[in-house]
Amino acid sequence: MFRIIKNPSFNFMGKRKVLLSVSLVMVLVAIGLLAFRGLNQGIEFTGGTQLQIQFAEPPDVPTIRQSLTDAGLSGSQVTTIGDAAKNEVVIRLPSAGDTAADDEQGAAAFAALRRQLGVVGEGGNDLNIVDSSMLVSKLSGIAGAESTAQSIADGIQELRKDGAIFRSFDELKAVPGMTDEALEVLKTDMTLGPLSLRKRSYVGPAVGQELIRKTLAAIAGSLVGLLLYIWIRFQLQWGFAAVVALAHDTLITLGLFALFRQEMSLAVVAAFLTLVGYSVNDTVVVFDRIRENLRNRGAESIETTINRSINQTLARTIITSGLTWVVVLALFVFGGAALRPFAFVLTVGVVVGTYSSICVASPFLILWSEFLAKRRGAAATKVPVRGAG
Amino acid sequence: MNSKPLLWKFVLIGVVIAGSIFASYPPKDKVNLGLDLQGGLHILLKVDTMSAVKNEMDNRVTYLGNAMTESGLAGTPVPDYAAGAIELRGTDPVRESEVRELIDRQVGSWDIAKTSPGVFRFTIPSRYRTEIETNAVTGSIETLRNRVDALGVSEPVIAKQGRDGDHILVQLPGVEDLEKFRKIIVAPAKLEWKQMTYPPGVNAYQPPPSREAVVALFGGTVPEDTELFPQKSIGADGNEVSVWWPLKRVSTVAGSDLRNAYRNVDEWQDPVVAFDLNPEAADRFETATQANIGKVMAILLDKEVISAPRIESKIRNSGIIRGGFTIESADALSLQLRSGSIPADISVEEEWAVGPSLGRDSIRSGVSALLASFVGVMLFMVVYYRRSGINAVVALALNIVLVFGVLAALPFLFKGARATLTLPGIAGLILTIGMAVDSNVLIFERIREELSQGKTIRSAIEQGFSKAFSTILDCNVTTLVAAFFLFSYGTGPVKGFAVTLTIGLLASMFTAVFVSRQIFELFLRARSDAETLSI
Repeated sequence: MFRIIKNPSFNFMGKRKVLLSVSLVMVLVAIGLLAFRGLNQGIEFTGGTQLQIQFAEPPDVPTIRQSLTDAGLSGSQVTTIGDAAKNEVVIRLPSAGDTAADDEQGAAAFAALRRQLGVVGEGGNDLNIVDSSMLVSKLSGIAGAESTAQSIADGIQELRKDGAIFRSFDELKAVPGMTDEALEVLKTDMTLGPLSLRKRSYVGPAVGQELIRKTLAAIAGSLVGLLLYIWIRFQLQWGFAAVVALAHDTLITLGLFALFRQEMSLAVVAAFLTLVGYSVNDTVVVFDRIRENLRNRGAESIETTINRSINQTLARTIITSGLTWVVVLALFVFGGAALRPFAFVLTVGVVVGTYSSICVASPFLILWSEFLAKRRGAAATKVPVRGAG
Repeated sequence: MNSKPLLWKFVLIGVVIAGSIFASYPPKDKVNLGLDLQGGLHILLKVDTMSAVKNEMDNRVTYLGNAMTESGLAGTPVPDYAAGAIELRGTDPVRESEVRELIDRQVGSWDIAKTSPGVFRFTIPSRYRTEIETNAVTGSIETLRNRVDALGVSEPVIAKQGRDGDHILVQLPGVEDLEKFRKIIVAPAKLEWKQMTYPPGVNAYQPPPSREAVVALFGGTVPEDTELFPQKSIGADGNEVSVWWPLKRVSTVAGSDLRNAYRNVDEWQDPVVAFDLNPEAADRFETATQANIGKVMAILLDKEVISAPRIESKIRNSGIIRGGFTIESADALSLQLRSGSIPADISVEEEWAVGPSLGRDSIRSGVSALLASFVGVMLFMVVYYRRSGINAVVALALNIVLVFGVLAALPFLFKGARATLTLPGIAGLILTIGMAVDSNVLIFERIREELSQGKTIRSAIEQGFSKAFSTILDCNVTTLVAAFFLFSYGTGPVKGFAVTLTIGLLASMFTAVFVSRQIFELFLRARSDAETLSI
């Protein structure tokens, strides 16, 4: 039988003051990071336009910034995104106040990029932009039925879905059913633009505020919901301990999130809410065992019982968290640029959450009992447990 | 124990698996992909219902103004938008009965009051106002649907949304040319013909580049029946410039008077939009053009002048609009005119347009992350728990099949539920793998503990499952609580995440607890003399 650790007997509770101090320092650092570095809020919260653009050639970010500034879009942010081989950048334009103005800004940004790369005209003939109905009308002059034009147009779109951007007309030879004649028509009638729009997102200026309110409501709602659940299943004191651990996990993860300038989005909020659920989940595994052992601890001190419980569950805590961590790490590495901030939260959060179940939530249980006992002027001897006499 | 219950349990498992596979195979056709995965356009619009009320008031002002002119009566209708009222000023008290009659015909259903001699005030009744507001939303949906149909998008979603019922969701899957589509769909496309008010002493009007200059031409105040409108163009330096026109508040003809619109070319082969008017508007147009030959009649699109031609001869029922169109923009405008204008101001609250290539990339990276996590978990389980690990892996694979099955079957289970797989949904599925296997770990660790206390294999398994169950339940409930708040909070993709996570966790209660248990049961039957358990 494989064992991660054989019969562990760490004295976690004996070092609870050290552990809690370490956590307190980390939380303070995280709050500092949040206050001074700030969160990189995505357009869902700030409002504005975001364009994800793929270039045929590696883009030069400073030049793009310059041409956007020249076009009067000085508040824009330009960053590269994803796999470097894809030549992609994301351009973020702050909201200009209303839909029409924002619309014009987006169009102006796209036009500025096209100008910078030396493209003139509206793009109606750009093979990297047009849709298949336009392709069909261009190809309708070629020999054969209209269905030939349609199937070639579909083939081109299919290829575009895979490669996203054409750099040379020769790439079109891979289209099934492509004829020399059709290729000739395309070569004469169409151009190959140097960029294509991969994604455009827009959020109106009024929506962000509403979203922030809803986000806070959702987080508060789930905290209260979990507190209630643990209160029912355990006792109020346990609920507080779990929520303290939870706040600890969320704050530290948020701090690291700010440190690494990850972008806050709706999906990231979802990740945080999931983390909230997971972190409690992990705490519950430990609490469950503590409760079980408290019910028949005999003359053992609370400290010993909690230590024993943590050590008993240590292997499974490490394994379950480890497996979840493997999964979110896979998401972080392979999940693509769009999911990276989401996966970041969980990759960090699972580690912090596991730590806090053992080193924050459990010590806090004792701390609370000690605090109550001190007020009565006695030594802490018990933690309330449902179902125990 | 006899073998019958076990057989039935396996039949149940078999039915569930077969059902899931049947519901979701082939996944390409059965599982609905979200717009972020298949590409397309998602637009959430907010209808400004107040603007519909304003439009209605403008229309009344137009009709009333026209009717007054036709009957040769003096008086100018002036809207008071904030109060929802129109004031008819400067009527001839001598001809009051005629004015009254005309008012009754035009705005008879409104609350009418005479405020001072020659001045009447009509207010929209609140019941009628509500009706206008509701119609603004349904009318906008109607127009949007017309446009989308004309564009030939398959499986579009155009639906009312939000608590106040003033939001419209438009989803167009698989759209390729994102910019073109969004422009056509979102523009109000309100077309109007307006006569110009000539400043005193001006015969050949050259529009000046500022409002103030126009106001100055009128000697400081623009007449009450006149409003200033800009005409925008791109100047020599590439920047936008505007010139201003003083035009009658009351439109002579509006887009709703059109019977048809289509692209054509003028004598210089430049694209133009040609139109036919309906008979009633044709009469109006003929009278107006005949009376104003040599004067300017401006054409406005969405309150901006697109061209300001001089009337050369009377026009009856058809004509053309020049406006520096390209073939594409002339096509787009004709399509918009044919499908009607949007009856209220709308603003885009949220929009994402995902190109098809990005969607495909997302699917690819989602699938590789799914595979990587599955393989990672599988390796660990098999190495660490040996043959019991295989048991867990089987349960895990079933879990994924089950999630797909439920996702595909959801629309049948809950009427109106549209389960779509989004990118965050894939993330939810991946996360499910991590959390589902946790249940197996909790059980296996418990079994190990029981075994090390010297229990028999059978009782270790029984105890392991039953003791771990309450922990598993607690764990899943806590995550479900979070998922519930996620679902009620999120929009589109985030909801997709919450849904897959919830389905995944519920499915894991079946696979990791029930199925896995039956597999152990099967092992115990087959090897009742076994002294060791590979765990």
